[in-house]
Amino acid sequence: MLAQQYAAIKRDLDQQGIVFSFSGYLSEGILYSLGEALREKMTLADTDAPTVRRVFAVFVEQMQNIIRYSAEKVTGATTRAVELSAGMVTIGMEGNTVFIVCGNTVRNDDVPRLRERLDHLRSLDREGIKSYYREQLREEPEDGSRGATIGLIEIARRASEPIDYDFDAMDDERSFFCLKVRI
Amino acid sequence: MDSLNIPATGRTPAVAFDFASGHLRMSGESYPDDVATFFGPVFTALRAYLADADPTPIHFDMELLYFNSSSAKVLMNILQMLEAAAKAGRPVSVVWSYEDNDESMRELGEDFSEDLQHVAFSLRNVPVGAIG
Repeated sequence: MLAQQYAAIKRDLDQQGIVFSFSGYLSEGILYSLGEALREKMTLADTDAPTVRRVFAVFVEQMQNIIRYSAEKVTGATTRAVELSAGMVTIGMEGNTVFIVCGNTVRNDDVPRLRERLDHLRSLDREGIKSYYREQLREEPEDGSRGATIGLIEIARRASEPIDYDFDAMDDERSFFCLKVRI
Repeated sequence: MDSLNIPATGRTPAVAFDFASGHLRMSGESYPDDVATFFGPVFTALRAYLADADPTPIHFDMELLYFNSSSAKVLMNILQMLEAAAKAGRPVSVVWSYEDNDESMRELGEDFSEDLQHVAFSLRNVPVGAIG
């Protein structure tokens, strides 16, 4: 029963081409370790260096978005400041394309603004994304955003196709947010 | 002024600011878990150096292989500080290195240098493995 249950989860991930998956509390430490494993795996698979860097760059921005903005969070200080944020990250292959899907809980109040930012990015072509990046690079960060806008632009810029996103309402206060990026 | 030397770690760049000769260099990768903690001392040292009426020309070597978006904001601030110093009359040159085939890093160099008018900025293409 036990093996069957987990084999089913594994099969499900395999069928979707998912090579790495993590669900639970994410931290900067996990970002670092998963990121290293991801780069090693891609390098061993003879992926060219610029592609490895592009995938890695998207991975870092996606992970930091969860760590900073997940609505499900534990913070505190033990021997140092700790920020643990619930979410999931999966990395896989669709043919020759690498994809990264991240998911985390967000507050419903934040959904319209996030949707607006993502729709705006989706409406831009390569040149548009580039000039939006240049503009944001010179802007002061918005209150409470810790640089979210430039992070999303960075993701869109490294992506090979327009980014995909979706929200699934959980209750009156929260929704599950997913962002899929193909590189 | 004492020079500033911070060795690279897995996720923070090496910083080698030799203030006496005016040769400043940053190399490696930059995606610190806390940007403010890492770059705070770098800014403090640089600000103090630029505030000095030292006429030594500044040469800044930017040799980063990767930086995240939070670091991007910081790098932009550093360039703006250098631009202000150059505008005030101090000769400043910045060389932005990127590896062969690393189109993204070359483009970023263009993005960052777009509005520099007083800093002499140049892009330098280097073979893979030559920096970092």
